[in-house]
Amino acid sequence: MQGSSRLVSRLVLTLFVLWTVATILFLIFRLMPGSPLAAFVSPTFTPEQQDSLRRQFGLDRTLFDQYLLFIGNLLQGNLGESFFYKRPVGEVVMTAFANTIALTLGSLIVAYTFGVLMGAMFAWKRGTRVEAVGIPIVLVTRAAPEFWLGMVLLAIFSFGLGWFPGGGANSAGQSFSSEWARIFSLDFLRHLILPATALALYLQGLPLLLMRTNMLEVMQEDFVTMARMKGLSNWAIVIRHAARNALLPVATAFALGIGQSVGGNVVVETVFSWPGLGRMLVDAVAASDYPLAQGAFLLITTVLVTMNFVADLLYSLLDPRIAHAGHR
Amino acid sequence: MSVLSVQDLEVYYKTDRGVAQAVRGASFEVPEGQVVGVVGESGCGKTTLARAIIGVMPKTARIAGGRLMFQGVDLLGLSPREMASRRWRDIAFIPQSAMNSLDPVYRVGTQMAEVLVERGGMDKRAARRRAAELFDMVGLDPGRLRDFPHQYSGGMRQRAAIALALALEPRLVIADEPVTALDVIIQRQVLDTFKELQGRLGLSVILITHDISVVAYASDRVVVMYAGEVIESGATAEVLGRPFHPYTMGLCKAFPELHGGGGTLVPIEGSPPDLIAPPEGCSFADRCPFVEPECRTARPPLVDVASGSLAACRRTSEAEELRVLAGEAGTWLRS
Amino acid sequence: MPVTAEPSAVRGGGRGRFAAVGRAFALVRRDPFATAGVLIYTVFLTIAIFADQLATHDPNQILYRPNGRVASNLPPFAQHILGTTNLGRDIYSQLVYGARSALIVGITAAFAVVMIGTLVGLVAGFFRGFVDMVMMRIADVALGIPFLPFVIVLSSFLEPSMWNVVIGMALVVWPSTSRVIRSQVLSLRERTFVEAARVTGSSPFRILFVHIAPNVLPLSFVYGSIAVGWAILTEASVSFLGFGGGDTVSWGSMLQNAYASQALSRGWYHWFVPPGVCIILVVVAGFFVSRGFEEVLFPRLRD
Repeated sequence: MQGSSRLVSRLVLTLFVLWTVATILFLIFRLMPGSPLAAFVSPTFTPEQQDSLRRQFGLDRTLFDQYLLFIGNLLQGNLGESFFYKRPVGEVVMTAFANTIALTLGSLIVAYTFGVLMGAMFAWKRGTRVEAVGIPIVLVTRAAPEFWLGMVLLAIFSFGLGWFPGGGANSAGQSFSSEWARIFSLDFLRHLILPATALALYLQGLPLLLMRTNMLEVMQEDFVTMARMKGLSNWAIVIRHAARNALLPVATAFALGIGQSVGGNVVVETVFSWPGLGRMLVDAVAASDYPLAQGAFLLITTVLVTMNFVADLLYSLLDPRIAHAGHR
Repeated sequence: MSVLSVQDLEVYYKTDRGVAQAVRGASFEVPEGQVVGVVGESGCGKTTLARAIIGVMPKTARIAGGRLMFQGVDLLGLSPREMASRRWRDIAFIPQSAMNSLDPVYRVGTQMAEVLVERGGMDKRAARRRAAELFDMVGLDPGRLRDFPHQYSGGMRQRAAIALALALEPRLVIADEPVTALDVIIQRQVLDTFKELQGRLGLSVILITHDISVVAYASDRVVVMYAGEVIESGATAEVLGRPFHPYTMGLCKAFPELHGGGGTLVPIEGSPPDLIAPPEGCSFADRCPFVEPECRTARPPLVDVASGSLAACRRTSEAEELRVLAGEAGTWLRS
Repeated sequence: MPVTAEPSAVRGGGRGRFAAVGRAFALVRRDPFATAGVLIYTVFLTIAIFADQLATHDPNQILYRPNGRVASNLPPFAQHILGTTNLGRDIYSQLVYGARSALIVGITAAFAVVMIGTLVGLVAGFFRGFVDMVMMRIADVALGIPFLPFVIVLSSFLEPSMWNVVIGMALVVWPSTSRVIRSQVLSLRERTFVEAARVTGSSPFRILFVHIAPNVLPLSFVYGSIAVGWAILTEASVSFLGFGGGDTVSWGSMLQNAYASQALSRGWYHWFVPPGVCIILVVVAGFFVSRGFEEVLFPRLRD
């Protein structure tokens, strides 16, 4: 079938992109002058430590051998050991990843629920004052830096009113039986609300505008006119036919949004001291913790590329014109 | 006995330049169990007329006058709710482009079931059975109910649209250019199926088309529209065989296959009048080869011309001679 | 300014290669939002150009009170229009100079992105085949690079400077422009006027740059006006994270200073609100300008 061969070619492309980005990253880290690795290895260590590190990263070998080692380790999921945490990078990164995913999904779900409903509403109110006032406001939220929104929210609701904690993902001294228990605790939620709101404020504009445009377009389609001729209820027309069609690209945008947010949350995570992947990357880069920076970057890339692929997949799953191509 | 009687219908559109009078005082009857072909150039108001009858019009359109008597009830006097409940059960619609009229994200069977369940009050199983029955009727494999619209060919989609229109056994079916999008061979096949079903079920049909050969082939009566007006109507054989309005004469001339490939194909030159400021006199005057100065002073009314035929022309008494002149290609060429 | 030459270009409708550009200007004038956007741009451009004259103080200078103590945390609307920072620097002057670095980064980055995006799109769409395939695969790779993390990693190797943002954007952000330009070119190259040029023996490069390129310029312009905002937002983010240029005063670095100096917990809104408002204004101006072209209001994800 055409559908599955398309899928395979997208998958191959996804793997190709991942490999290329990993290679670019390898080259950046090994070839750039003043690489943090070189800076890190040189001064303070004992010769034995230096040697062991050199061996760990294969610096005693040719660049090509180093590259093979790098790719080989990557394929085995071995990202090395963090200089700072003295623990395997994979492990360190995963905790941060959970926090980032919680923040990303939380804000995206809020943003897309709100955006889709408001977008449909704006489409309905086309040409009214609601639209004339609403659209510029939406554009302003799209233009505001999300970390600045975060700062304002922090100043008002945390420091001013004292309703929410000023940062972090959990209160000090709390302990949980498991990672799941931690993420689904009330304490975590209280910490999550402000950063998720800041992000959601910024993110809702895209689904809103998309939904509005799509609704306006779909409402012009012949099948919507036909649905009215069939005497179907307004509800059936708007929800079952118009919204179902208009939601196609929004679903894709949602998947793309996950991929972009995991890396794009960096600044909001910094503002709220949220122990996520982006902030870990910033700290690792600042502290020249090279394996950790590399690991965090690779994980962010993997999520981005995977979600690009998922978005594609989702689109073909939701749109029968692609999912059921052929067979005439 | 008429199923539908259109009386002095006026439909206006709001446009950027002003109000366009898309349908101007149109009147005709749809007798029980007959096919009435409504024919005219694009922009003559025939689609507007169709949409006005089923009551689904663009926001800019407004019915400015007239009556639509459907089995003794004026449809224009119904509340939106009452009208919605009559749609599809009493009056169904076959659209020009079934591709865009079927929702691309649902299987055709689902869309059939939607109408049967939601408007026909059937349960799901009965709906499924009925859908298969309908597909059988229109010459489609019921197995294809599971397919999506894009998996159909153009002819199949049009057949599916017919099945959909017949789903609730409506009293009146409006078919808006039902075969225009198809190539000629498929056109004939779909039209044959449609005609056969119409005869078998005794359907009353309004068949809207710009193609006079489709009218000649499939309709019992014909209504010729020009610039929003009905300018001639009557039994198909009468009107096409003995046209009384010069525009009808020209139309017949422009479609030579009516006469078995006789004369040369001559289009009517010029374009219809501006409906925002329609002329005071006969709206065809500017293009009419037989125009006289008096034609421009007042709109000619529809008058009886032959057995059951009506025509809106000042010179119907001279129709005999005009028809001869109209048969010559030179008549239609501008000097 | 070319404002005086503009009406003739507009009236010249279908005339020559400037017709498309003329249409672009006509569109801007008809749309009040776009006009507001152009106005905001003009104001900030003026501020950036005349920053030296408009600023009341050196933005990096530590100011002192008459009694010799650091003039820190002065409230706004007294001796200082927007007050001072906790280190005694004039906030208003920082804001004015911030406009300069914002616009420099914004405009150069937008220019770089649009140049690369347009060129790739033109070449890929026009020559198709192998060239197209290679370029689109490169675009796929670029789209697989997480933008902000990439700029951060890049900044850690290069000298800290606001140009890192420009480089980062030039390397990663061009594909969205080039994809749109490419599909435009794919349809343009089939048009009759291109066919005519081909028949009369014009060279491919002449066809590409003389006949096709002017028709995609308005589209590039749209992407440019959005990219300016993007670049300014990114520069602010990068500076806020501490990877900006050391001494350069930018709105992002102002926000970073405010954040690091506990301006939030102390409620010094006059310090961290103005830079944010300035960023919003410039970015929204870009949206408004492109809104005339339906780009932001009608986002297309999949082309």
